[in-house]
Amino acid sequence: MTWRVIAAIAQKDLIDAIRNRYLLIALLTPLSIALLMRVLLPGLENISNLTIVVHDPDRSTMVSKLRAAPQIKLVDVDSAATARAEVEKIKASGALVIPPNFDADVAAGKQPKLTVYVNNKKNNIEQGGFRRLVERQVESLVQRPPPAEVNWINVHEETASPAEREFNLNHMLLPLLLLLAFGMTGAFVVPLLLVEEKEKRTMDFLLTSPAKLTEVIAGKGLTGVVYSVLIAVVLLALNRQMIGNWPLTTLSILLGLLLVVAIGLLMGSLFQTTMQVNTWASLALLVLIAPSFSFPGAPVALETAMRFIPTYYFVEALKLSMAGTGSLRMCGYSAIVLALTFVTLFAVTWTLRREQN
Amino acid sequence: MNSIEVDGLSRTFNGLQAVDRISFTVEAGEVFGFLGHNGAGKTTTIRMLSGQLRPTAGVARVAGCDVTTEQERLKPLVGVVSENQNLYERMSGRENLAFAARLYGTNPGRVDEVLRQVGLLERANDNVKHYSNGMKQRLLIARALLHRPQIIFLDEPTRGLDPVVAREIRRLVVQLSTEGVTIFLTTHYMEEADELCRRVAFLSEGHIVALDTPDNLKLAHGQKSLKATLDDGQTLTISLDDEVAGKQLEELVSGGRLRTLHSTEATLEEVFIQIAGRGLSE
Repeated sequence: MTWRVIAAIAQKDLIDAIRNRYLLIALLTPLSIALLMRVLLPGLENISNLTIVVHDPDRSTMVSKLRAAPQIKLVDVDSAATARAEVEKIKASGALVIPPNFDADVAAGKQPKLTVYVNNKKNNIEQGGFRRLVERQVESLVQRPPPAEVNWINVHEETASPAEREFNLNHMLLPLLLLLAFGMTGAFVVPLLLVEEKEKRTMDFLLTSPAKLTEVIAGKGLTGVVYSVLIAVVLLALNRQMIGNWPLTTLSILLGLLLVVAIGLLMGSLFQTTMQVNTWASLALLVLIAPSFSFPGAPVALETAMRFIPTYYFVEALKLSMAGTGSLRMCGYSAIVLALTFVTLFAVTWTLRREQN
Repeated sequence: MNSIEVDGLSRTFNGLQAVDRISFTVEAGEVFGFLGHNGAGKTTTIRMLSGQLRPTAGVARVAGCDVTTEQERLKPLVGVVSENQNLYERMSGRENLAFAARLYGTNPGRVDEVLRQVGLLERANDNVKHYSNGMKQRLLIARALLHRPQIIFLDEPTRGLDPVVAREIRRLVVQLSTEGVTIFLTTHYMEEADELCRRVAFLSEGHIVALDTPDNLKLAHGQKSLKATLDDGQTLTISLDDEVAGKQLEELVSGGRLRTLHSTEATLEEVFIQIAGRGLSE
């Protein structure tokens, strides 16, 4: 394969695609949704990522525990008087003013006075999250044993791993947006790039030029990869605080986008007209993004059905890597399935195009 | 030296014989006409000879390359002007050629050279979708010339063009031929083939049914006679095989009664109809 030829085809398609209004809309839709959600739900990304201003002159145990929590950012101030102003200045969730000798006074049962400032310009969800956090911390200071021991038992067997349980509703947003972006590229953009060459007979020109069939397919794939990477970078930048493990998240995204691009190449090889692509692409998109709606505790039948959709493994790997508690070993199975599916799809596409020729 | 050598070339599609054991040669620098009605196998032959389609049987060497086994070596040596105007319509003329130049690894400076050669330099930055049919056809020829091929396949290059543009395209073909480029031309227009081609092959249902110079074909299948129109409107047919033909002509000219005199040799189209059984437009 000649890199010059692949790059020439990809370069041509990158420019040509954005001149096609239909393809441009497909590429921009996920970004528009992401931006719209940020405008409509400005505090959504802060539900599990609280910024708290703290004045704690004697370094209390309670604040030390908060400091260790990965999703809480503490901003220290020198005096109690400046805490309130700092909340407004940095738009924090709130502030804690811990009096001197706090730990000793708690131990002595003196009920020290803890002042909490709440930023009531934040949305109700964030305010509620901050209040619950403070209440839990205060309750944990009670030294005596609880009046009764509560044994919580799930009626149904727990199928989600601890890492999956950490993945909250908020974290469904990014996989959904990424899958939507990749799905648009895979189901619409890449197949249309290939089908348009066939429909307008420019494929005949490409095949009389020094370009080999594999180079044409690789060029289309590269275009899809470049667009997917660009969109993924923007989506990650907009939602960067949701990422717990960057290297694993990057690997998951890379494998996911390769997978959908391979699906797009296969669709582009199977279909001969733009109308066929338009007819089937919406259905394909729905199937591709379906796994992003799966959640811990979903019905077993639904969960089993989802496992037959390759993008399920992308969502699985992404959930674990985003939660920050997943390891390469935990994501390994999903990564292998994604990689093998990509290779198989690429090989089928190449064989199909070769036979069509 | 032969630019194209074809021996027993065949191609079937799902059991249908599109091209059936055709054999011919084309000399370097020759303009060779490949004539036949729709579905006769012209485009299939071009696709095989330009390395786009594998033959089912037979061998063909184009620019010294086996079309089946040496496609990669062959491609930079040939240029193809497809019967479909397969250009990137959302791109400008210059962008179309710049893309082709990158594929072929050609110097980008060559783009403006060929645009000038086909008279499109002024409109080079316009989107192709705003070009007329004639301009698109000239751009296709420019793209085929970009990498300086030894052989150019022109598939119906003047179809649907107005007479002025068609004449311009024919002028380009002649110019290329004088520069030593071999031209393999398919056309529906017999006058065009007659004007441009040193030799023509008639293709019918996948077979070559005749191959010779246009003059030889017309002589072999036409009548050797003259048609004279006199001042009073009367017409006379004078057979050139007749011993008294010379005397008859002399009398007409010296008598001052002759208004017009035409040869009645067959046109290439009439020859084609005689050989293939139906006309090109049928």
